Amino acid sequence: MPLQYKYLEKIEKNAGLLGALIALMVSIGGLAEITPLFIKAHTVEPAPGFKPYDPLRLAGKDVYVREGCYACHSQMVRTLRFETQRYGDYSAASESVYDRPFQWGSKRTGPDLARIGGKYSDDWHRLHLLTPRQVVPESNMPNYPWLAERELDGEDIQARMRVLKFLGDPYSDEEIAAAPAAVKDKTELDALVAYLQGLGVYNVAAKEAGHE
Amino acid sequence: MSRFWSGWVMFLVVLNLGITLFLFVWAQRLKIPTRSDGTTGHVWAHGVLREGVRRLPLWWVLFSAGMFIVGFAYLALYPGFGSYQGRLGWTSASEWLQDTQVNDAKLAATLQPLSSLSVEELARNDNARALGERLFLDNCAACHGTRALGNPSIGAPNLVDDDWLYGEGTLMASVLDGRTGAMPPWGPALGHEGVKEVASYVLSLSGVKAPADWVAAGKTRYEAICVACHGADGRGNPALGAPNLTDSVWLYGNDFASVAASIEHGRSGVMPAWRHRLGEEQVRMIAAWLHSQGST
Repeated sequence: MPLQYKYLEKIEKNAGLLGALIALMVSIGGLAEITPLFIKAHTVEPAPGFKPYDPLRLAGKDVYVREGCYACHSQMVRTLRFETQRYGDYSAASESVYDRPFQWGSKRTGPDLARIGGKYSDDWHRLHLLTPRQVVPESNMPNYPWLAERELDGEDIQARMRVLKFLGDPYSDEEIAAAPAAVKDKTELDALVAYLQGLGVYNVAAKEAGHE
Repeated sequence: MSRFWSGWVMFLVVLNLGITLFLFVWAQRLKIPTRSDGTTGHVWAHGVLREGVRRLPLWWVLFSAGMFIVGFAYLALYPGFGSYQGRLGWTSASEWLQDTQVNDAKLAATLQPLSSLSVEELARNDNARALGERLFLDNCAACHGTRALGNPSIGAPNLVDDDWLYGEGTLMASVLDGRTGAMPPWGPALGHEGVKEVASYVLSLSGVKAPADWVAAGKTRYEAICVACHGADGRGNPALGAPNLTDSVWLYGNDFASVAASIEHGRSGVMPAWRHRLGEEQVRMIAAWLHSQGST
């Protein structure tokens, strides 16, 4: 084949060109795998009857994110038999539509929490968040004593709901107006427990609507 | 996946495989001009280092060819080439369903011979105990502890002490449908002094020493308020889940402060319902394991 070495030589001797061509080739994989999902993420619909977080649970979700719970706990039951047997039905994309950002997680030091709602009592969660080893002696989860001391700011929650509404979450004006009353005198601990007790409970409809 | 994005993926896959395949073939057929000494003429370090030309090693060529074959086979069999689903029709959900059905059949085969046995008989069955212990550790141990000894900090009862808050034989009902304790807070009605007096009287019922005047005053208050659920003799009422106050079993601890706190602030310990998560057959296995650990 009388192909000319000079083309290859040009690339080999020109580091800038070589770099540009490498970048081009490497980016093809990402362009094929990632860009369609940017668009697809916006087309995932919540299951019928699946509502955005109420004010208290929304505050709890933000505490969950702030404390970095996702670093040790995932919220995604994978499509594997031993996972669904332990945790319950596998997760669907339509369950994460109101999570910004999603809390799927990438590592489990503690158990998956996608279906934790209702598994334990509120009292258990309170004690477990404040002093985990009082209920699970072998646990290596940190204590979160400050959660019980910090009260929620109703107007702050209201502002967050307005932003989420702006981003497309279907909050009504009445719901936003009622938010300060709903979180009045509640602590971050109350909020986080409410959030945890709702995980996997409010999105049963998502399961029934079928998975992708 | 829409037609556009399917086409987008297909285009990029073809582009990527096309370029790499072309380079793979081209690079091997390429003649690199050499001088008479077999080098390209590139020289470093005053002639000590000279660039030669060698064919690509055979292992590398075969390995790369293998990668292409695996890649094409994958795209033909599995989803990956745009919206093409692959010849195998594989999905993660169908694989999960198949695994689950296989496992369910195994579980059913294990449970089937056990279904006619009583809890006492199950407690002597190795399979039942093993299943029960596993289920207990995964689901119950968080509150009741790994040895089922309970946890006074949340009022989780000891399950192997033969003392049943709701009466003997109620374990299945308590686990399947849950329980909610309903000790009301008496602090506002009794006041600080009243709480101390009632706590003293309650402790005296199980033989704990307490100041006699507080016990006497507490008894009067007890007979006005507490008798409704805990009974005149303090032996409780299993129908309501009102604990026996005369024995040595204390859900929230037997020290004065814990008893006073129960009276002042009330208690409403919650046992969640497990019917949906576990189902009756699996709960029977847990009951069997508990029985083998010493519960009645």
